[in-house]
Amino acid sequence: MSGERTVVMEITLLEAAHLADLVRQFRDLIHDAESAAVPADPAVRRLVPDAYTDDPEAARQFRELTSSELLDRRDQDAQSVLADLPDGAVPTDPDAAVRTASIRLPPDRLEAWLRTFAALRLVLASRLGIRSEADHDDDDPRFGIYEWLGYRLDGLIQAADGAF
Amino acid sequence: MSAATLPGIREDQDLHEDRELRESPESDRPWQTVVWNDPVNLMSYVVRVLREYFGYSKEVATRLMLAVHHDGHAVVAEGPREQMELHAQAMHDYGLWATVRRAGA
Repeated sequence: MSGERTVVMEITLLEAAHLADLVRQFRDLIHDAESAAVPADPAVRRLVPDAYTDDPEAARQFRELTSSELLDRRDQDAQSVLADLPDGAVPTDPDAAVRTASIRLPPDRLEAWLRTFAALRLVLASRLGIRSEADHDDDDPRFGIYEWLGYRLDGLIQAADGAF
Repeated sequence: MSAATLPGIREDQDLHEDRELRESPESDRPWQTVVWNDPVNLMSYVVRVLREYFGYSKEVATRLMLAVHHDGHAVVAEGPREQMELHAQAMHDYGLWATVRRAGA
């Protein structure tokens, strides 16, 4: 099905460097949370949400069984994305910044990218206090990053579906 | 069971009893995996996750996604509890919020 094709993503070195920075912050966040039974950070809690809304004991047991596995997988996904991204700091030379890199994503790598983009959006949404799809603040540059992640995520999905 | 077999019982009681008889015991009812709406996950992403993980057709996945979007949640699978927990964990893995509950609750 849709996941069988290799997708090629064109990304500027500027985007790539910022994305790598975000993903590294994301890994730090996960590492900080891994020791806690119930993560204190609401952004991390959203990544390991309650599976039972009416039974706290069942919710606790489910969390105990799944939480570290879920966070490990997040970390592996994030490592895949970092490994696929070109090396380098945020370019200061404007010519270098707009130069593009082609990233080839076979199906298993693509899944890691999609999950990581989705997870980064969940974390940012929690930080930004996003409650509805219409929430936006022009003065807060993090909304720009949040929307850019959505644009890139949707592009990858369309590409995998063969719409491009 | 029809009302005629229970003479002398008021109609409302009769309906109540009828409903109780029809309900299967709690332990016979299957479990469900429910996906909940959130303002963050893209519609295209939710459709892709449902197709990829459950193997649903584009039409079924789109119908479920729209149910999540408009009704706030949708039942995406039904069956034994352990299996529904695996599905919920898989949904969490993708960043969707899913819960497990008993059908008809």
